[in-house]
Amino acid sequence: MAKCFKRNMMVRGLALAAMVTVLLGGLCATPAAAANGMLKIGVLEEPKSLNLWLATDAWSKRVLSLINEPLFIREPKSNELVPWLAAGKPVYDAGKMTYTVKLKKAKWSDGSDFTAADVIFTGQLINKFRMPRHRSKWSFIERVVAVDKHTVRFELKRPKAIFLSRTLTTPIVQKKQWEKIVASAQGAEKPLTVILRHKLTNPIGTGPFVVSKWQKGVFVFMKANPHFFGRGQTISGHKLGPHIKGIIFKVYGTADAAILALRKGAIDFYWNSIQAGYLEQLKDDKDIKLFVSNKSGLYYLGFNLRKEPFDDVALRRAVATLVSKEFIIKRILQGYGEVLHSMIPPGNSFYYNPDVPKYGYGKSMDERMKLAYNILREAGYTWETPPVNANGEVVRGEGIRLPDGSPMKEFTILTPPADYDPHRAMSGQMIQEWLRAAGMPAVSRPMAFGALIQKVKGQHDFDAFILGYGKLSLDPGYLRAFFHSRYNKPRGYNMSGYESAAYDALSNESNNAMDPKLRQEMIFQMQAMLMAAVPYVPLYNPKVIEGVRIDRFTGWVPMLGGVGNIWSLCQIKAK
Amino acid sequence: MRKYIAKRLAQVVVILFFILTVLFVLFRLAPGDPVSRMVDPEMTPEDAQHLIEQLGLDEPIWKQYLIYLKNFASGEFGYSIHYGEPVARVIWDKLPNTILLFTTAVLLSAMVGISWGKIAAWKKGKGADIGMTIAALVTHTLFLPWLALLLVWVFAYQLDWFPITGMVSEEVFLDPDAGFWAKAVDVGYHMVLPLATLFLIHFGSYLLVMRSSMLETLKEDYIVLARAKGLSDRAIRNKHAAPNAWLPVVTSVGLSLAFSINGGALTETVFSWPGIGRELVFAVSQNDYPLAQASFLLIATVVLFSNVVVDVLYAFLDPRIRY
Repeated sequence: MAKCFKRNMMVRGLALAAMVTVLLGGLCATPAAAANGMLKIGVLEEPKSLNLWLATDAWSKRVLSLINEPLFIREPKSNELVPWLAAGKPVYDAGKMTYTVKLKKAKWSDGSDFTAADVIFTGQLINKFRMPRHRSKWSFIERVVAVDKHTVRFELKRPKAIFLSRTLTTPIVQKKQWEKIVASAQGAEKPLTVILRHKLTNPIGTGPFVVSKWQKGVFVFMKANPHFFGRGQTISGHKLGPHIKGIIFKVYGTADAAILALRKGAIDFYWNSIQAGYLEQLKDDKDIKLFVSNKSGLYYLGFNLRKEPFDDVALRRAVATLVSKEFIIKRILQGYGEVLHSMIPPGNSFYYNPDVPKYGYGKSMDERMKLAYNILREAGYTWETPPVNANGEVVRGEGIRLPDGSPMKEFTILTPPADYDPHRAMSGQMIQEWLRAAGMPAVSRPMAFGALIQKVKGQHDFDAFILGYGKLSLDPGYLRAFFHSRYNKPRGYNMSGYESAAYDALSNESNNAMDPKLRQEMIFQMQAMLMAAVPYVPLYNPKVIEGVRIDRFTGWVPMLGGVGNIWSLCQIKAK
Repeated sequence: MRKYIAKRLAQVVVILFFILTVLFVLFRLAPGDPVSRMVDPEMTPEDAQHLIEQLGLDEPIWKQYLIYLKNFASGEFGYSIHYGEPVARVIWDKLPNTILLFTTAVLLSAMVGISWGKIAAWKKGKGADIGMTIAALVTHTLFLPWLALLLVWVFAYQLDWFPITGMVSEEVFLDPDAGFWAKAVDVGYHMVLPLATLFLIHFGSYLLVMRSSMLETLKEDYIVLARAKGLSDRAIRNKHAAPNAWLPVVTSVGLSLAFSINGGALTETVFSWPGIGRELVFAVSQNDYPLAQASFLLIATVVLFSNVVVDVLYAFLDPRIRY
């Protein structure tokens, strides 16, 4: 009896403790962030590292972009580069091949002065240790010298077009914080590894925010940097703050949870593009505003030009004609995307060439089939059952044969799996169907992303693939890396194996062109050459859809890539 | 008994060595490239090679294997490629969170499952048995992410009783005046929904195992004898039948406890619980060899030793078992 009584008491005690936990927890969790000027942002992952040189993931960059600032930054309306840590435009001396840049009298978050020595140190660190993802932007710099405490002169080994758009947009690190780390690396067997593995918990920056607390796996709290150089200033017409006390980046493991948190008011902004499937429920919420922005993306169908059947340009053009990008945008992206005709998205208006061939654009499926059939027939392809019959009617084609008379072997279109990117997986399925209708033995095969990259980029063991870049640089230098024969090697970015001496020469020339107008002409020509050869079929550039609560904060700044940007976070105010 | 334990430990060492080798080979065969994210389009092949050398990925496979074995023998698991931190530190940051949630869930599910399993078997064929068995079958076969999202939607979003997901409230953990108990209560509050999900999914298996084992035991002669002696139902059920029905349940609970350090990638992802399960998935998907190898090895080690402990425990629970 006594034991029974004890057990009952224990059970009741446990139940009571659970209830107390819930009640107390509920009281503790009363949202108060808006009241004290804290902006809450939902993210899917926490930063991997606060060490700028190691952090390559998008989630780390969201945090670090608010700490380590570059000399120049893109302005939200025009996308032009404007002085940020720099005090004015760079002055170019063509004879000496030097750029002189005056610096703002800014301070680091620890209160010390930002000087030319910090810029020089950053450049030296990148070149000395061949810093991944930065070295290519600095390798052509002979040296950087301090003209005075707030003026630097860049001396170039050779002209390089990316200097303004890439070198001057490199985040600058504080010499004082990094020189000890560099000193310890210099004697090491693997010095780059020492730099990359340095655990940085308090990166000192010149940006609008600094990391105050990082609760691993749960949240990162950034408080406003009182020494931020832009505070109270008007830069390119934008009056900067920050006007909020801080930002809390909250980690949600899934988009479902983050969207619920946004609707419930647990966060003010979900910093990730929202899938179209969530939009209906969000549109009805009066406290949520959806921003639909363009981004600089390129999603494409790529061919392996190193082997049959895609070593034939006629076949590639026929495939480009059969692919209905309009259908993909309308049905798969549910309207949230734009058709791409070139390797450069139209949003990059200075470098986008609107006069490249637009294979099959605006045509019906029957018209496309007829066009593709003509291209292939003229190139010597034959069929057991042609897709266009003797009466000129479109029928289902079967048994396509190559110009040498041999049957076309089954080929595979590799795509990322649907759980990684449903758009690309579904696009692969649709393209398979369109090509089969023309009698081509196409098979769309979703594959784990790592395996796909290894096959396509590492081993060149593929027929065709669908991949994409979500955030291409506005500088079109990537056109050279994607299609120059120098990069046609395992791990190289020329995955299709396109080789053209004329293209190589033009892309080299464009790489060194310092005159923007001249470079623009070259980039136009490169796009025309590429769209004639069709190593890739550009498919679409998806829109960025972001959700923001408007009941607590105001002042979001839309720009290419979305409202999640430093301009927004420097300008938003509590209501 | 000592001889048996020594023999089992020797087996564990051999199996561990085998697992070490298999893990090493598997991760090298897996497609993907750990440095691909650090390479930019315009990086020269020479700079890319320099990066590979600096990360030690250019060494011949046999040499990497020897370094791996040597590091393991000295308790050194290397550095995570993506975090740039010692693997042990990355695991240690997340492991307590996983143990807290999953071990609590296993113990709670086992306690309730075993108690209800006893009752269900005792009342075989009656309403209580049918109700509990159906409830166990239904909850045990639910799809975990669906149940988790349903609970979040009802209790966190619609009723607003609990936080959407996460492990702590930033208001509490940023408050300099919040003491240990305030933080502990906050963690407990965040744990309710993930714990409820895991409990609902798992208690059914313990209930069914215990019920089935009890039904076998209730057919034994000593139970008939106990009834003939006029003992109360409660005494027969709890003192004579249940202890003899424990063996299969002990195995189940023991292994579940061991596997609980593995966490559950799905549960941790849906509830944004910063545990080892999510880390493991990240390490495998990003080809972070050192982190993935160490995580799997940790799981394998704990499971192997738990097996030994369960086997030894058998001898204590059932005097008929002798080693």
